[in-house]
Amino acid sequence: MSTAFDIMLLLFLIATALAVARAKDLLAAALIFSSYSLVMCLLWQHRGAPDVAMTEAAVGAGITTVLFLVTIGRTTRREK
Amino acid sequence: MKKALVAALLVLTAIPLLIGVASMPPHGDPDAPMHTHVSARYIEQGEEEAGAANIVTAVILNYRGLDTAGEVTVIFTALAAALAVLIGFPAPPKDNDGVPAAPAPLSPVVSFVVRLLAPFIVLFSVYVILNGHVTPGGGFQGGAILGGLFIALTIVLGEGRTRVLLPRRGAPWMQGAALLAFVAVGILGTALTGYFLGYPAESQHLVTELMMLVIEVGIGLGGAAIFATIFLQMEEE
Amino acid sequence: MLEALWNNVDYVASVVLFCIGLYIIIAKNNLIKKFLGLNIMETAVFSFIVALGVVDGGEPPIMGPDATPPFASPIPQALVLTGIVVAVSTTALALSLIIRIYRQCGTIEADELREME
Repeated sequence: MSTAFDIMLLLFLIATALAVARAKDLLAAALIFSSYSLVMCLLWQHRGAPDVAMTEAAVGAGITTVLFLVTIGRTTRREK
Repeated sequence: MKKALVAALLVLTAIPLLIGVASMPPHGDPDAPMHTHVSARYIEQGEEEAGAANIVTAVILNYRGLDTAGEVTVIFTALAAALAVLIGFPAPPKDNDGVPAAPAPLSPVVSFVVRLLAPFIVLFSVYVILNGHVTPGGGFQGGAILGGLFIALTIVLGEGRTRVLLPRRGAPWMQGAALLAFVAVGILGTALTGYFLGYPAESQHLVTELMMLVIEVGIGLGGAAIFATIFLQMEEE
Repeated sequence: MLEALWNNVDYVASVVLFCIGLYIIIAKNNLIKKFLGLNIMETAVFSFIVALGVVDGGEPPIMGPDATPPFASPIPQALVLTGIVVAVSTTALALSLIIRIYRQCGTIEADELREME
């Protein structure tokens, strides 16, 4: 059975994913993806998977976001 | 026309998935087949058989150890391929109509905070790596934290001062540290028990813990070196 | 069937996120945006796998002096750890390829690349 907290987290995840789809500025899309990764980490911590949550926090919000930002810096910033 | 096709494809993908989801056992049911066969045995006997209080680490390093060896190979291959793509093809020089581009100034608050917190972050990542078999954590988490710290220090201090941590001669050894540690511990396991990566019997907990610790430290160092190298190569003009 | 879907709302959310990621890959033109969509698909699959191992009132599978059953299942968590590492490896390689494509062709829009040569 899911509690209201779980459903709120899941709705936030879906809203963030839709915001990534709609953002025209690639820098904004990368940062919204970083917040999506953070909420996913919170969801997994709430579900009793602390190892996976720590890995997702360190890798998704740390390494992947930095690599996306470096790529955006070396290429274009706006989506045509 | 294209929008209609995309919408039709998404609906065609979602309908079988939702039908499959609806016919699964209820979420969180302790009597589902998921929890009663292999999982129950790993939870009951994991601590004595594998010598680790963290059952997830026991599954990764002992019950499914060869999967972890494959994962380490994947990340090393990704580094090799990324370097092969990027080295030797620098960016064409761009002229902004003759005006040199001014770099954005770095805020002194960011610089001060990163330099103040760096030793504590190193301490925390070493704690996470070494305590991986007792508390949540492990080799890869600590390696990702160390890699992120290296990236932050490179942004704040400049590449010239942090390059010394990845010397030219020693960098390939650091990047391959994970796979080398795995193979070394595997050969030691063959010498002890006759099976590759075979941990000794339950009475010798110290040897088992030392073997797992060597693998964890190797994965941590290797992961940090690989992330740092990918970042440095992508940042180079 | 709606009752069954409401019981498994975690799985339904994973399916919805998977479809959003698939939409981004198919419908958007920019290569970096496509890889953001691929990452969303990957994390949706990881969330589905972790949700399989959840038990009602379960605790993390870490044995300590005060750990009480029931525990969440440790096997999906181990699989997802390996999956996250593979995801970050493919993302790093894909972004290196995007930088190389931009340096060689000057653009990272898919339709312009298709018409180039």
